[in-house]
Amino acid sequence: MLEFKNVTYIYGEGTPFQKKGLDDVSVKIEKGKVTGIIGHSGSGKSTLVQLMNALYKPSSGTVLLDGEDINKDAKTARDARFRVGLVFQYPEYQLFEETVGADIAFGPRNMGLSEAEIKDRVMNAARFTGLSDEILQRSPFELSGGQKRRCAIAGVIAMDPEVLVLDEPAAGLDPRGRSEILGGLMEYRKRRGNSLVIVSHSMEDIAEYSDNIIALSAGKILCSGTPHEVFSKFDILEESGLSLPEVTDVLHRLSRSGKSVNPSLYTVDEAFSELLPKVKK
Amino acid sequence: MLKDVTLGQFFPGNSILHRLDPRIKIIAVILFIIAVFTAKSAVSYGFLVLLLVGMVAISKISIRTVAKSIKPLLIIIIFTAVTNIFWTKGENLLWKWKSIEVYAEGLRAAALMVTRLITLITGTFVLLTYTTSPMALTDAIERLTSPLKKLGVPTHEFAMMMTIALRFIPTLIEETDKIISAQKSRGADFETGSLLKRAKAIVPILIPLFISAFRRADELASAMECRLYHGGEGRTKMKILKLHAYDFAALLFFVAVIAVTLLINKFLYI
Repeated sequence: MLEFKNVTYIYGEGTPFQKKGLDDVSVKIEKGKVTGIIGHSGSGKSTLVQLMNALYKPSSGTVLLDGEDINKDAKTARDARFRVGLVFQYPEYQLFEETVGADIAFGPRNMGLSEAEIKDRVMNAARFTGLSDEILQRSPFELSGGQKRRCAIAGVIAMDPEVLVLDEPAAGLDPRGRSEILGGLMEYRKRRGNSLVIVSHSMEDIAEYSDNIIALSAGKILCSGTPHEVFSKFDILEESGLSLPEVTDVLHRLSRSGKSVNPSLYTVDEAFSELLPKVKK
Repeated sequence: MLKDVTLGQFFPGNSILHRLDPRIKIIAVILFIIAVFTAKSAVSYGFLVLLLVGMVAISKISIRTVAKSIKPLLIIIIFTAVTNIFWTKGENLLWKWKSIEVYAEGLRAAALMVTRLITLITGTFVLLTYTTSPMALTDAIERLTSPLKKLGVPTHEFAMMMTIALRFIPTLIEETDKIISAQKSRGADFETGSLLKRAKAIVPILIPLFISAFRRADELASAMECRLYHGGEGRTKMKILKLHAYDFAALLFFVAVIAVTLLINKFLYI
């Protein structure tokens, strides 16, 4: 389990340009759950994510992985990079190998695995991300945008991390690409049973897939908990300019206009079964 | 980590040195360099150093920053000093040990040479790089080289290329930072191992960086074409460089500096 204890991160500390990225954040990423992180750009989402695998060192506070400080020394930091897999925003810009297969194998090879094991992992990762054998032989630069994205995600999945962290995995993709990628990730998590952290500013995506939500604003945690808990605090969310999922927004407006509906629901199905009996009446 | 690299040494300000026309500043630097090279007397060197101290004071740039400009050339300065001290033969032997001889003339030559180097470097930095924005500088270069257009030299295109290059340095640094982080997340190790191993570890950074640079170039070219950019022909400027009285005064001043240096050489040779 990944835990942040009073973590503060300051960019350019000691220079005239210093700026707080995160301010005294304490949060737990629960094992085996899907955690969604929402917030505006500049709210500290990406900073939080890069602290998770020791790319950034906290200015103060500690990041614990199963109770151990990941920034203790170079070894624990490197270890954390293998156990917490991080997929950056627009990960297709990190592709460099001659074939898709070789690129996916980059991570496992850095882990020092045997060739047979590497091959096995590449095949598995490709299957989870829906890349065919034929694509594995092609150059990553010939692929379409969505395929490139899947190839880059496969490169991290192949390292079989305990926690898979994705920064805006569906950014810039069409609706079909979005649901393919997010659906594939859910499928992967269900099979492997590991934790998933998804960063997004799309409230719909987060609401649909997350077990827990962390809402960030200006480097601080605005609220966190299950989607029901978070979306019931819509006043806090709206105050900081975060939009609610459309369904929740509709229910919220109904409840404000005097109808007795539960406004913290966030999926179409839930809203349907909440509203249907009332419409019939 | 890469973000800590300071690029573009420009320090914004509002001193007279900042306000001078960049074209005048380029010419002034050339005149200043000529003055430094014509100086022969120790007194004329003293005069130029004094002038430089004055310019630093006017520009309000900290002494530490000025000192930093010399740092990269420290080795050359030390090398010059040492060679001058030990290899200049003269009449006044000061010190001798086996075949190593140090003459008074050697010490003098070393001192003057070091002063010359330092004034040259700091002079250019204070007059140009520290007080002129890169954009103003390229603009000035374009204007100053515009007579070459008649010979078919694409001066505007060169200036545009320089401007674009300068503009994209911070972007590419940011991009490199991101790629390094991404590859580190995939367990890439840039810090340990033999030299060959570390050199190989750069490949996963360089390839994505090149590809993104080409992609950016392509996109920029399309964007420029969409806005009907077609080179320098008939192009007008948003900021038109205009010469003021103080620009001409500055020009005259630096011509006077050369004259004074020559006069000191002649009448006050020490």
